[in-house]
Amino acid sequence: MRHLVQSLGSLVLAAGLAFAAPALADDVLDRGVGSEWASLDPQVNFDAAAGWIQSDAYEGLVTYNGKGEVIPGAAESWEVSDDGKTYTFHLREGLKWSNGDPLVAQDFVNSALRTLNPETASEKGYYFYSVIQVKGAKALADGETKDPATFGITAPDPLTVVVEMLNPAPHMLDLMGAFHMAPLHSPSFAANGAAGFIDPAKVVSNGAYVIKEVVPQSHVLLERNPNYWDAANVHIPFVKYHVTEDVATELKRFRAGEIDITYDIPLNQIEALKAEMPDQVHISPSTEVVYYDFNLTKEPFKNPDLRRALSLAIDREVLEGKIVKGEAIPTFSFAGGFDPTYKGPQIAEASLTQPEREALAKELYAKAGYGPDNPLKINIVSISSEDSIRRAQGVALMWKKVLGVEAVNDAQERKAWLDSFYAGTWDVFADDLVGDFAGAETFLAYLRPSAEAGYNWVKPEYDAAMDKAAQMPDKASRNAALAEAEKLLLDDYIFAPLAIIPTRHLISPQVKGFESSVAGYNNSQFLTLE
Amino acid sequence: MLRFIGKRLWDGGLTLAALVTLTFFVMRLAPGGPFSRSRKISPEVLANIQAAFHLDEPVWKQFARYVWGLLHLDLGPSTRFRDYSVSDLILSGLPYSLTIGFWAVVVASLVGVSLGIIGALRRNQPADYLAGLIGVVGIAVPIFVIGPLCQLVFGLKLGWLPVGGSGQGWRSLVLPVLVLSLPNIAYISRLTRSSMIETLRENYVRTARAKGLGGGRVLRAHVLRGALLPVVAYLGPATAAIITGSILIETVFAVPGIGRHFVDAALNRDYPLVMGITLLYGALLIFFNIGTDLLRGWMDPRLRHGR
Repeated sequence: MRHLVQSLGSLVLAAGLAFAAPALADDVLDRGVGSEWASLDPQVNFDAAAGWIQSDAYEGLVTYNGKGEVIPGAAESWEVSDDGKTYTFHLREGLKWSNGDPLVAQDFVNSALRTLNPETASEKGYYFYSVIQVKGAKALADGETKDPATFGITAPDPLTVVVEMLNPAPHMLDLMGAFHMAPLHSPSFAANGAAGFIDPAKVVSNGAYVIKEVVPQSHVLLERNPNYWDAANVHIPFVKYHVTEDVATELKRFRAGEIDITYDIPLNQIEALKAEMPDQVHISPSTEVVYYDFNLTKEPFKNPDLRRALSLAIDREVLEGKIVKGEAIPTFSFAGGFDPTYKGPQIAEASLTQPEREALAKELYAKAGYGPDNPLKINIVSISSEDSIRRAQGVALMWKKVLGVEAVNDAQERKAWLDSFYAGTWDVFADDLVGDFAGAETFLAYLRPSAEAGYNWVKPEYDAAMDKAAQMPDKASRNAALAEAEKLLLDDYIFAPLAIIPTRHLISPQVKGFESSVAGYNNSQFLTLE
Repeated sequence: MLRFIGKRLWDGGLTLAALVTLTFFVMRLAPGGPFSRSRKISPEVLANIQAAFHLDEPVWKQFARYVWGLLHLDLGPSTRFRDYSVSDLILSGLPYSLTIGFWAVVVASLVGVSLGIIGALRRNQPADYLAGLIGVVGIAVPIFVIGPLCQLVFGLKLGWLPVGGSGQGWRSLVLPVLVLSLPNIAYISRLTRSSMIETLRENYVRTARAKGLGGGRVLRAHVLRGALLPVVAYLGPATAAIITGSILIETVFAVPGIGRHFVDAALNRDYPLVMGITLLYGALLIFFNIGTDLLRGWMDPRLRHGR
């Protein structure tokens, strides 16, 4: 018994050491990341929040400033071929990894190859075979070949990376940053495998910061990388990313000065905080759009008039402003609102007033054969998060009030919600899409039946319009072609676009230089701490 | 004695085997899987990923593979936290959960027993009422109310302690330990009080007094030993529950313990991690139950010789 007590005691003593001594607080930028990062392996990680850590620790061929604009990263310049299919990047001279090794063009090639290698079991390969179509990427991802010579990303010399694509893609620069294609230090990967990415003693990176400490469910501590080419302009010595699972606790930690930039703001506190500390509440659009799909395999929803009636009966301003209250931006379009150069269409009735829309909705609803004696019954499948439930209940209420529709909300856990989509066990699916980059194409390409068959939408004209757009190397004409495709999409009312979800941060007044970036990039190297 | 322990361990092993089997199959009934989160990747690539984690095999084969790994002390890789194996995650979280749990049990026992004794000796006096009030509050007010309240008062208003995290040494421990021990302080104090009152009426206590022993001596040597038996019986399972049941505490106070991993794992259908932590919880419960039985046998001669 005494032995037991002793060994238990020593275990607890050892455990007590786990609660480490405090670090110096003044030169540390403390940022919240929500739930724990999925992975610190740059070729595997798929989480946006973990992407912030990754963008601090690694640098891609290009990088993004605080506004999300593409600026030179490891590559100081690049050229595009006339057909828009080949990009040639020129690396800066004298680039180094954090351990002092020279950084070479092949490190970028190896990164893309590892991402596509089936053995890596990474979900990120689709950036290279789907979002942009790099030559040979699909065959590598499917495991049909392992030959790097078939691949369209090559390094003809240590300072040059060439990317050859099957189709022109003006958005390809949005995929050349640290999140999508961080370089890979092959010697340390060969020696340590993926375990090397989380071991501060072994991790080798090329960004403004290096990983110093990793504690699961707690934090990742980064320290300034002296071997970074622009280290002289990195102002904050340490950055600490805290897991902040609970938004209410995160807010209190922000108030106590333990967190400088929060991951989110609790929904029910936004208004009070805007009144209390307007300068610290930071809300800006992200690339996430919420839209309600209609189940095209079910009889009533095969009728476009009914789909249109349901879409028009929703008062989007009231829904987001008075019911959900999460600062989302009401929208009548699907792919607009992310890229200022894209002038996309809205649904035809966007120019009407809400009472006019509702009158039209009632008319269409009656025309479809429904009325007070014969109400439409609908189940809305949504995620069981607070804002999703509020939104679904708000929509159900409006459908009831305007049309007399009897709608119920079936709120499900995220995984179950995804399963339901494919099972088709819904009348209306509270859908949600996060873009791969801040542009219209990422959304419109996804709606193609070839990309996502789950919508059961067959429209050869849409495919043709998208094919046409995909051949255009120049951004302006491509955007015009995409807008034509979006018009076809919106005219069919296969879903009701509702809102653009914002990112919500509280930012301490000591942090300077934080700007709005739709893609959500806010690299710590561009921030200062007073 | 050894036979007793051996029998209990054997029973515990059987329980764990049943737990593993049940959890493994029931978990797979939940909709979704570890890699259903993205709708954008091609079916071929998804199949590759499923295959890398053997999720493409028939369930019985996955089960056989899991049990085989288990026999080799391999809990498998985590599918949600791709950088870690399940053992890595448990080893990283367990020290935090154990520390908080241990101190919560210590605080709960010391304060709870003291309050109970005061209550029993000063029955129906102000001290008793105060102890009773603390008890009622501790049991009635849930952790998710008292936790944020403590954060507000001690973290924000007074600024004495950090609101959350684990970066400030013992100061980070105070609030989670306090809040975790509160319901148990309440329960233990009520248990001690009623058990004390009962024991004080026992014949052997009267005999001890009649022998002329002093009040303090009677209390220490005779009353407490008898009165604490139910408390000890309660503490075994309670200790396991405190260590495992700090999920809410860990979330509210942002403590990186295993409870947090458990919730994340369940929500993300991280089958191996759910299995690993369930197994750990089961093992802890069995371990503490055996420990309690041994402790009670040592304290209570009737149990030792009576069988």
